[in-house]
Amino acid sequence: MAAIRLDKVTKRWRNFVAVERLSLDIADREFLVLLGPSGCGKTTTMRMIAGLEAVTEGEVWLGDRVVNDLEPKDRDISMVFQSYGLYPNMTVYENIRFPLRVRKVPRELHHEKVMDAARMVELTDLLERRPAQLSGGQRQRVALGRAIVRRPAAFLMDEPLSNLDAKLRVSTRAQIKHLQHTLHITTVYVTHDQIEAMTLADRVVVMNRGLIQQVGTPTDIYDRPANTFVASFIGSPAMNLIDGDIEDGVFRAENIRISGLSRNANGPVTLGFRAEDASIVDAGGEISSEIYSMELLGESTMANFRAGAALVSIKSNKDYRAQIGDVVHAKVPASLCHLFERSTGERIAARDAATP
Amino acid sequence: MTAAESDLPGRRPAALIFATNAFVVLWLVAAAFPFLWTLWGSFKVEGDFFSRQSFFDAIFGAKTYLQTGSHFTLDGYYGAWVVNRLWRASLNTVVVTFCVTVISLTFGTLGGYALARSGRRYAFWLLMAALVFRAMPHITLVSGYLLPFFELNVWGVLPTAIIVLVAINQPFTLWMLHSFFLSIPKDLDESALIDGCTRFQAFRLVVVPVMWPGVVTTGLFSFLLGYNDFAVTSMLLSQDNQTMVPKLASFLGSIEETGKVMYAVAAVVSATAPIFAIVVVFQRQIVSGLTAGAVKG
Amino acid sequence: MVPNRTFFFFILPSALAMLIFIAIPIVSVAIQSLYVEHEKVLIAVQSCTPFGCTESVGVDDSATAKLRQEQPLGKFNGLGTYADRAHLAVAEVSDILGHNAGFWDAATRIYKLPFYRALVFTLAYALLVTPLAMALGFAIALAVNTVSPLLKGAVIFFSLLPMIVTPLIGSLMVYWMINADGVIGASLQALFNDPNLYLKASAPLTWIVLFAYGVWTNAPFSFIVFYAGLQTVPRDTLESSMVDGANRFERVRFVILPHLAPLATFVALVQLMDNFRVFEPIVGFNSQAHATSLSYSVFSDLNGQFSQLFGSAAATSMLTILGVLILLAPILLRTYREFSNKAAA
Repeated sequence: MAAIRLDKVTKRWRNFVAVERLSLDIADREFLVLLGPSGCGKTTTMRMIAGLEAVTEGEVWLGDRVVNDLEPKDRDISMVFQSYGLYPNMTVYENIRFPLRVRKVPRELHHEKVMDAARMVELTDLLERRPAQLSGGQRQRVALGRAIVRRPAAFLMDEPLSNLDAKLRVSTRAQIKHLQHTLHITTVYVTHDQIEAMTLADRVVVMNRGLIQQVGTPTDIYDRPANTFVASFIGSPAMNLIDGDIEDGVFRAENIRISGLSRNANGPVTLGFRAEDASIVDAGGEISSEIYSMELLGESTMANFRAGAALVSIKSNKDYRAQIGDVVHAKVPASLCHLFERSTGERIAARDAATP
Repeated sequence: MTAAESDLPGRRPAALIFATNAFVVLWLVAAAFPFLWTLWGSFKVEGDFFSRQSFFDAIFGAKTYLQTGSHFTLDGYYGAWVVNRLWRASLNTVVVTFCVTVISLTFGTLGGYALARSGRRYAFWLLMAALVFRAMPHITLVSGYLLPFFELNVWGVLPTAIIVLVAINQPFTLWMLHSFFLSIPKDLDESALIDGCTRFQAFRLVVVPVMWPGVVTTGLFSFLLGYNDFAVTSMLLSQDNQTMVPKLASFLGSIEETGKVMYAVAAVVSATAPIFAIVVVFQRQIVSGLTAGAVKG
Repeated sequence: MVPNRTFFFFILPSALAMLIFIAIPIVSVAIQSLYVEHEKVLIAVQSCTPFGCTESVGVDDSATAKLRQEQPLGKFNGLGTYADRAHLAVAEVSDILGHNAGFWDAATRIYKLPFYRALVFTLAYALLVTPLAMALGFAIALAVNTVSPLLKGAVIFFSLLPMIVTPLIGSLMVYWMINADGVIGASLQALFNDPNLYLKASAPLTWIVLFAYGVWTNAPFSFIVFYAGLQTVPRDTLESSMVDGANRFERVRFVILPHLAPLATFVALVQLMDNFRVFEPIVGFNSQAHATSLSYSVFSDLNGQFSQLFGSAAATSMLTILGVLILLAPILLRTYREFSNKAAA
């Protein structure tokens, strides 16, 4: 059980910087998710923690020691790979037993530990099969079993659910969360799926282009995104972002006018609000525009229309109906809006300092 | 073993790096040395190349200098090419290998394509039969030809040897081409068929142009099989019609006299030069040919 | 699916060539093996001088020629050729087995019989050279995998040479280096201070040299195939094993070797087949006194000093083919079983 610390860690290949001066403290027993699009550096960061990539600059600490020069096998970690990395010629039992075998754990202890791990991932019936005879979900569980059999100081998971179908993803997600909770092991989890991040993480690290965009709990990230990237990455559908001008607390763009915002900002800004925070009204409201398209989702209806130069979504109850081209009005409460600098995308306080 | 690992500092102990590099160097020396030695020695006289006193003689050519006034001599080459008419054998070789390659490829592409696209059981059994045929010793097959060829009066001429070489090498050619054809997606043929081609047109106009690298690779191996053959060519060709390899073997018979050994040495180097050139130019294709069969077969 | 008719026409040239020049000759050889050459027809000739008549036996050339013309195959011998001294030597072997002074005595005496001498060497060559060459090729592949990419091209080029060069030429080059006058032979003599150390003198030495040559020429094939295989080792499995705690050797043993196993089977099959037919090295090294192979026996029968011994060559050929089929049998059976399972499933 250990805390992990990354101190200004950089990864550079020739001229390409994959991870730039990343500093991060991961608490003992924490479930930390590295979230971001492909190529943002999240996997590279995790591989540096694992020892599968050399660190160009900076230090990686596991517990109270610097591990930069240690081989993966000496770092007391285990890893679950995206394509599982099982040993095809060994049975499930032997796959799970393998770490014990090569680390010269006394033979008498092997069986008990393997059965223990197998029980935790519900594989006790499949121990004699080979990976080729298992389904994707079962193989995933073998990889998990192999990772937990040793009770290492930290778990590293590289997009373990990406190769599973949607339904299986949901159930396996729950299993992973439960496992981590039972075993109290520090976990670093990499994914590009924000739903996984939101449901699994104690804290989320959003990354883009090798840089941390924001670190926080899922609630923090959702309610107070630090910049437009985080704002648009988290949430489904993505947050509506509209470029416009603000003056004296009033935001203006084509078809939209919102007052009651912070007077601290002036000039070009980007305004954001979530689809579920706005509502369709019969008259008045902050937005007035023609319907561009309607999406009937079953549990709700999404109405899309133009505001500013953007296509804006507003969630409405499932019975709402309208025709493409109808003029609609929508209410967007200023208290639920977010303001971002137009040039940098950084967050500005949306309301005056007095109001949180 | 992977790039990732070599990326990591201090992961490969210095002793291991030294040992593996030394091993590779040792192997390279073992692989290349006979060729370089024979090449160098072919320009010397027998007393130097086969010197019991000192192998430095072979390197510096002491006796060669004594005998011919220079450290290098072309006597061996002259003896092989002119006196023993190696030039004739090399012409025969050119004819034989060219014809064998072209005909092998023609038969082989047709057959390999059919086997790759057939999808029926008998195609599989044909391939298995070809495998068994490939295992047959060439000298055995030759012994089966001799009497009939004598009777039919076709023994000793180039066309006979050519068609025999083509046939004997069909199993190998079929296997290699069939595995190359398998790697071309069926969609290509099927589009052509839908567009109105017959199978043969689809084969000729659409598939073969895409398959060209595979054809080149297989052609290479056909060429090598024809060039390197000894059993068939030595038994089926008359003295005048011999290709380079059996001609060389016939030198060996008359080698007992001094001075003639160098003719054989020079002939050996002459016969190896085209091979050398081929490996230089076609190295990638050779490697791909060897692995294609293995990975798919 | 290709219709049968189209398939037939595509495969026709190739199949016809193989039928005429492979399948039929084998049948022809099988038939030949049942015959021996006609002995020359003898005739009693009377020569009379004023002192009396004497009878002597001479060759009747015209009758011999006529017999040969009428029955070109020869005299039917049934399985006699197989059983004769130059082949299975049934009589001699049962004699040795019946009266011998122990295993080694029997073995040495059987070895003196020409067919068994060739068989033993051919088997030893095939069964020793194949695994040794594969092991060497694998080691080279592992080593080259770690060499700098700049050198790889050159390494592969030189490594290919021993395999691509004409077998006869390759064996000649090595022979000239190894025999008593050659650079290696002379150096070894100087090193061991033994002027009598040379190939011609010693059978074990000849065998060792031939095996070494075999490994030299066969290793590149394994090297190239295994090297290609090493590039496809699944990265995740390899990294898993690194994280799980495996050291370098354990990684080779548990991840790399299992991954290469199917390739190794293919290489072993091809090389075993080819090595069983070993022929050119015997010619190049001129070693038939000490080490001869089955194919070489056939060759020397066909190139016989006084007459071409077709029957004998044919019998040896059939026995060789039998040997090859025995070697191939396990693979063929396994493929057949796999195929039936797939078809049934």
